[in-house]
Amino acid sequence: MLKTIIAKEFLSNIIDLRFIVGFVLCIIVTIACIMILAHDYKQEMKDYNARINLEDEILDNYAPAALDRLLGMVSTQEPPERFRPLIIGIQGNENVGSFDDNPLPILFPPLDFLFIVTIIMSLLAMLFSHDAIAGERQNGTLRLVISNSISRTTILFGKFIGGIASLIIPFILALLAGVLYISVNPAIQWDGSAWTELALLTAASITFITLFYLLGLMVSTFSRYSSTSILNCLFLWVLLILVIPNVCTYISAQLCRIPSIKETERKQDEIKYPALKVARKHMKEAAKRFKLRYGGLFSEFESMEFGGIGTWFFLDREAASTHQKAAQQRAEEDPEFKVMMDAFRQEFEMAMKEFRRTLKEAGFDKLGRDLGRKSVVQTNLAKNLACISPFANFVYIARDLTGTGLRSLDYFEQTKDEYGDQFQSYAEEKISDARKKNPALDKEYYLDVSDRPRFAFKEEPLKGKLGEVLPYWGILVLFNVVFFVSAFAGFMRYDVR
Amino acid sequence: MLKSIIRKEILNNLLSYKFSIIIILSTILILVSIFVMYRDYCLAMENHDILRKESGDSIQIIPPTPLGIFTKGLDENLCRSFEIDRKGIGISNKKQKSVNDLFKLFTAPDLLYVIKVILSLCAMLFAFDIICGEKETGTLRQTLSNRLKRPILIIGKWTGGFTSFILPFFIAVLLGTTYVTLSPMVDMNTQDCAKLGLFLLSGVIYLAVFFSLGLLISCLTHRSSTSLFISLFVWAILVFLIPNLGNILARQLVEIPTVQHLELKRRRNWIKGNFELTELERRRDRIKGDSELRKVDDSRRREIIIIRRMMAEIDKLNEDYRNRFNRLVKVSQNITRFSPAAAFTFLATDIMGTGMAEERRLKRAVLQHRNILIDWNPKEHRDEKSKQPVFNYQRSSVKEILGQGGLSNFLILILFNILFFTGAYVAFLRYDVR
Repeated sequence: MLKTIIAKEFLSNIIDLRFIVGFVLCIIVTIACIMILAHDYKQEMKDYNARINLEDEILDNYAPAALDRLLGMVSTQEPPERFRPLIIGIQGNENVGSFDDNPLPILFPPLDFLFIVTIIMSLLAMLFSHDAIAGERQNGTLRLVISNSISRTTILFGKFIGGIASLIIPFILALLAGVLYISVNPAIQWDGSAWTELALLTAASITFITLFYLLGLMVSTFSRYSSTSILNCLFLWVLLILVIPNVCTYISAQLCRIPSIKETERKQDEIKYPALKVARKHMKEAAKRFKLRYGGLFSEFESMEFGGIGTWFFLDREAASTHQKAAQQRAEEDPEFKVMMDAFRQEFEMAMKEFRRTLKEAGFDKLGRDLGRKSVVQTNLAKNLACISPFANFVYIARDLTGTGLRSLDYFEQTKDEYGDQFQSYAEEKISDARKKNPALDKEYYLDVSDRPRFAFKEEPLKGKLGEVLPYWGILVLFNVVFFVSAFAGFMRYDVR
Repeated sequence: MLKSIIRKEILNNLLSYKFSIIIILSTILILVSIFVMYRDYCLAMENHDILRKESGDSIQIIPPTPLGIFTKGLDENLCRSFEIDRKGIGISNKKQKSVNDLFKLFTAPDLLYVIKVILSLCAMLFAFDIICGEKETGTLRQTLSNRLKRPILIIGKWTGGFTSFILPFFIAVLLGTTYVTLSPMVDMNTQDCAKLGLFLLSGVIYLAVFFSLGLLISCLTHRSSTSLFISLFVWAILVFLIPNLGNILARQLVEIPTVQHLELKRRRNWIKGNFELTELERRRDRIKGDSELRKVDDSRRREIIIIRRMMAEIDKLNEDYRNRFNRLVKVSQNITRFSPAAAFTFLATDIMGTGMAEERRLKRAVLQHRNILIDWNPKEHRDEKSKQPVFNYQRSSVKEILGQGGLSNFLILILFNILFFTGAYVAFLRYDVR
């Protein structure tokens, strides 16, 4: 009997106007969207390659022998996300923080697979299911069906399976057409892990669509008329998709206030500068004492910029490496000079210790830690609040799974830092080698860095991503269960007359 | 007779379940939106006050507008602090952006969003069964069997239906606006009030477009379920599909490098120029003796030439990028204007001073100020500290906004209204009421 009901539900749906319109909409929008985004991906790749070449050109020709300047020249280029033909990733701050950035996406978020699933498919799902029970009651057919020897459980299951099948089929067909385009496009090279991620994304999308179908079914079992049912469905849809996720982030910002980064920095400066002033005073007095005690020897030491001992701290400038070398050499030659230099170093260390103690007592580090902690609390609060809406859960799953979300931004930053460390060691070694060969090497000397390590971005392993998305997926499944149980309870008590 | 129809339509709507649910939803949303965005404005003001204290000769910043409470648009972009130096204009975004990255995932729930997305849907839900619903219940046949002209009936239905929909919206907006204007943090002048009035007027016209569209669909269908389905389908296309797709489509038509690419090109030119300058300096250091002083002078002249060339190359890159970008915006605007939602977004954000036109204007002003700062020689003005150029920026006035193209978006909305209502009128004249 279940089979018959499923077949009946499926057939009645596919000859309905809703199915035809939904099918056409799904196919056209999905294919058009994937084709346009694939072309966009190709352009992004072209731009990325051009950026790599430019960076190579800069480093090959103008790599200076100064470490800070050389490190400042290396900008790690982020390749376009491999899921770009399906989902447009979130831009990192460095991309949106430029004077010449494009603000249009702020006014109109771009159209992608996420939009198709969250807006079009969820709306279609509710339109398919809102009258599954109430509509049949209005037509009088529900009473006829129930009058036969068929349990309500079978009817509900049949309606659910038949309805969801007629909804999922156009979605899968549209996605398959899009995927076919991706697989034959030479510009897009997906490996096994990308295809696995796509399969998981499809499964998550089906969970999300089913959830809205069940929500519509549940509302239908609590409504007497399909007109009331559709209004309630749309009311819930607006709340779950358009209101809750957008409002939650702002509510969390009000509930959990964070001082701005600039304000924190100012407070830190208010602690740092007086402490620095005290330390400098201490060092200046020490210098006076040393001058009286050592006379000409200390003047010589002073002309060597104190051999670089705390010069940035003491004089607010950096001593050249030549000064450091000269002072070191002088100390090796003259034991009295060495004693003076060591004593001066001790004075500096004492001032430094006092400086650090003042900072610690005034809570300098605590301010920074507080900002970090509060921002994590606010983000988590917003994230958890938004989980009331299935939309937010699906967005987290889809974005984190495909490497187009906040997690991928963090991951990129992490790999960038790792590369930064790697490049720094390389640069230090390179500069020191060059110095060995040419002791007179100055900062304006240019190095050959053609053998430098290159940045190659590797996608985060699927295991890590799965660990992040599974709780949200669990919430989606839970929503499904709750809505189905509610629909079941509603239908058991439904008056079919 | 027209009066009776309008009265009947209003009363009919007031007593319907649809009215209660839509009114509850829209009132809650409008009030929550205004309250949430007001708090957001207070945070933005606090942030601005902190950043302003640091702004000086080379750092420019403008305060957030209180109108951003209703239409946030690009206000966050506009209120960034611009740091000017010889290389270009930088933005210290890391110090002013929110540390909560979740804002990147979701849209700001301002009044513009509520009107554009949610109230437009409500307008269609109000109108989708005006004609076909009455046909289904059989009342349309009875009404038309009297000496009642079809034009009067459809005008009466439109007026009554739209009035019953828009009045509660006005009450909710009025409550929210009163709350905002009475709060001490918000300082709204006459210009701002005029802008708010114009925004609300354009909001009403925009909602009328969707109401007329719902009426048109109702006149073209014979079952309210079909009408509802088509209405939702058209709503999704007009509100989401066209504006969001238009943006990507424009990028296919106008080739434009990414900002990172541009930045890298500028850096390459800067480094190349510096390299040449260093080489020049080295050569100069090698020149010794009075007899070769002329060579030193030549070298200094070359230094100036290199710096000028470097700056000219960077300016050319910027200009090329900005020309392409302006073309991209134009193409994108032209594509998306097929949707009333996009026309309304452009109009509303431009009116409230948080739109593309204001962004372009501000960037132009910052660039002009940069040129002034570069040309300004502190040595020449040693005794005139007070005359040091100060960045002064005023957002566009209502007159400027309407002149800059705001009027065209306004006209597009009116055109959509006329088109849909005329369509509904014609369809209703031919409608089979049996």
